[in-house]
Amino acid sequence: MDGVVSEPRAAVACPACGEPAGDGARFCEACGAPLTETGSREGLPSPDDSNPVPQPDRAGGGCPACGGDVAGDGYCTRCGARAPVERDHREEQPAPHVAGVSDVGMRRRRNEDALALGVAGDVTVLVVCDGVSSAPDSDVASQAAATAARDVLVAGAADVGADDAGGWSRLLVAAGHRADDAARTAVDDATARQDPPSCTFAAAVVGPALLVAGWLGDSRVYWLPDTGAPEQLTEDDSIAAELMAGGMSRAAAERSPDAHAITRWLGADAEETTARTVATRPSGPGWVLACSDGLWNYASAPDVVAGLLRDALDRAGTDPAALSRDLVAWANASGGHDNVTVALARVAGPAPASPEPAAAAHADDAGTTPTVRRRPAGSLREEPDAPAP
Amino acid sequence: MATFRAEVFQNEFLPDGGTDVHAIVTVSAEGVGGAATTGGGVAEIVMIDTSGSMTGPMLAAAKHAAQVAVDHIPDGTWFAIVSGSHVAQRVFPYPNAPVAIVQMEPAAREEAKRAVSRLGAQGGTAMSTWLRLADQIFATQPAATQRHAILLTDGKNESEPRSQLTSTITAVTGRFQCDARGVGERWQVDELREIATALLGSVELIADPADIAEDFRALLATSLSRGVADAQLRVWTPQGGQVLFVRQVAPTVEDLTARRTDVTPLVGAYPTGAWADESRDYHVAVRLPSKPLGAEQLAARVQVAVADEVVASGLVKAAWSDDASLTARISPEVAHYTGQAELASVIQEGLAAKAAGDEATATVKLGRAVQLAAETGNEEATSKLRRVVEIEDEEHGTVRLKRGASRLDEMALDTASTKTSRVRR
Repeated sequence: MDGVVSEPRAAVACPACGEPAGDGARFCEACGAPLTETGSREGLPSPDDSNPVPQPDRAGGGCPACGGDVAGDGYCTRCGARAPVERDHREEQPAPHVAGVSDVGMRRRRNEDALALGVAGDVTVLVVCDGVSSAPDSDVASQAAATAARDVLVAGAADVGADDAGGWSRLLVAAGHRADDAARTAVDDATARQDPPSCTFAAAVVGPALLVAGWLGDSRVYWLPDTGAPEQLTEDDSIAAELMAGGMSRAAAERSPDAHAITRWLGADAEETTARTVATRPSGPGWVLACSDGLWNYASAPDVVAGLLRDALDRAGTDPAALSRDLVAWANASGGHDNVTVALARVAGPAPASPEPAAAAHADDAGTTPTVRRRPAGSLREEPDAPAP
Repeated sequence: MATFRAEVFQNEFLPDGGTDVHAIVTVSAEGVGGAATTGGGVAEIVMIDTSGSMTGPMLAAAKHAAQVAVDHIPDGTWFAIVSGSHVAQRVFPYPNAPVAIVQMEPAAREEAKRAVSRLGAQGGTAMSTWLRLADQIFATQPAATQRHAILLTDGKNESEPRSQLTSTITAVTGRFQCDARGVGERWQVDELREIATALLGSVELIADPADIAEDFRALLATSLSRGVADAQLRVWTPQGGQVLFVRQVAPTVEDLTARRTDVTPLVGAYPTGAWADESRDYHVAVRLPSKPLGAEQLAARVQVAVADEVVASGLVKAAWSDDASLTARISPEVAHYTGQAELASVIQEGLAAKAAGDEATATVKLGRAVQLAAETGNEEATSKLRRVVEIEDEEHGTVRLKRGASRLDEMALDTASTKTSRVRR
């Protein structure tokens, strides 16, 4: 129902991780973040503030469209423009080498993409979830899923050997399941809904010499080495991917009417939520990119994405936050039809003395059933990509 | 403590270049209490037609009804009784009384009933004089802020030009609410509808004079259940936007568009009168300058204000999309009430055409009415239409005018034309 402004949530949860805080506690039991301050770590956006509600005290100027006052209902009292909410544009940078930006884009009314980044020792974690826009409250589900997965990966990093591809794959599968639980319980009545909130899942764990990605749906992880062939590590669970598997060209498949229909996802109506995983061993320095389709709609094939990143490096330099912002701005300039989320982590690559072979070797990580080989033979022909119509 | 709720039903998606936003806003009031709880006083005036045509059983029935009304006005309520012909006269308090309106108490009740019993019928009919006298009487008691009147007539307003009635209605609009009742078949539906619409009341046909008393009792019960003396519907539109119309669409169709008063340049207030525990639906249509695809904005804030305080608010939104599956959908609520509003007007136009001898137009209009009544599930309208037309094909609206349809049946259809069925949810 419209017309009801919810009460602001009571501040009884940890601003950093959302764990309920005990009475009088000064630090979060779960993550150790201080509870006395309202802001989260270093002013980073609080990951659980996923559904900001306009506050009644918000009046007092500030409509970006006309300068009028914004009412407690979140709309300008003069021109009726919706005032931007925090979720419309979020940035995270938990460490200098990793950052991400999630943006509402140019055409969508709310940002249903979500982003969660983390660093544990020398392992970097990137998670991107894209809410299914046709299902209400998918923005809530996507943030809950991303945060839950990130937390599983960060917490589990200590127990997995830096070079254990199978261990990382299993952890990614566990993170996907936890993210699914979070998406299912993000709204109270999810299971009762005909169209329950749901989202994609794409996660990457990045160590100095190993990169493992896990996914459900059509959010992607790319490996973009400074030298050598760029790769799309994930293989979309989508109609377009099925068409490509059947021999259709990437450009034609991605233009087909159902291209964006995904065949696997997280949420109360998801049937199969075991993430597929893939591992690769970087042979040298490069960038790991996790993104939603809001970016790859305009740059899909790995060499196109790599070219895009090179251009961004020329424009924005090597700070991953600046690069992410640049790529989001580029997607918006290209049309911004969908929410855009970009996360980038710099990979130093193995030490020069490393005996690893020069070419990227895909770990076969036997024993982790969910791990599948990338790309059935004959699919995913690389070819220049046209921006989406 | 009265609480109001406003619930919005709409399809907010507009196609590229789209400008018009429609929404149904359901306003419900709960915990209103009775009229005694309003704080200010409650005043009731009963206006009885005593023109010459009332002579006989009709007058007797009207007098009995007025006495029943007096019995049902609780102690403490301000009240007066007016008799009307080509002139209006205060029956009680007596014309020579020092005050024009008194508070009910047992002795006043007995004296008022005695005064009514002495009424005789003579003269013509000039309802403007009745309304003006009622207004003057109410005005003598400013403490009585919730003012309600009942007007009963059996005839046409023949002793004055229509313009006189219209200008008087305009003059007293907003000063009290008035339900209008026509007894028998010689009164004019459009005259009483004009009074009731302006004065936020209802209009009804009472075919049998014996039913007047029960109707008065019900009218008073309704009036006295209204614990909120006056509420406004307020509509905010953005700068550059324009209100196309504001219509009450349930329980009856009442166009409020022209009743706007500006609260601010962007906010208009529309009168809704007194409220009991009830729910009413409003159709609000707003025109906005078109925005680019993907843009979203607020098209209207629809609010309920009591004593200048906003007590409920609903948001009407607009979002431009190139997704035809979103923009092509018509809100079922908007579709339903658009049909109901059209139903009311085609019934009235069809009957007017029939009265003017234009049978071709009457057949088309009433045929359309049959079709709309069926589509929107308005069974009362369908059953009343059946007494005026022979229905050949309900779905396509094919009808023949019924030969020998009674004037009473036509008046019943006309009177009930503005009553709507609620949307099925």
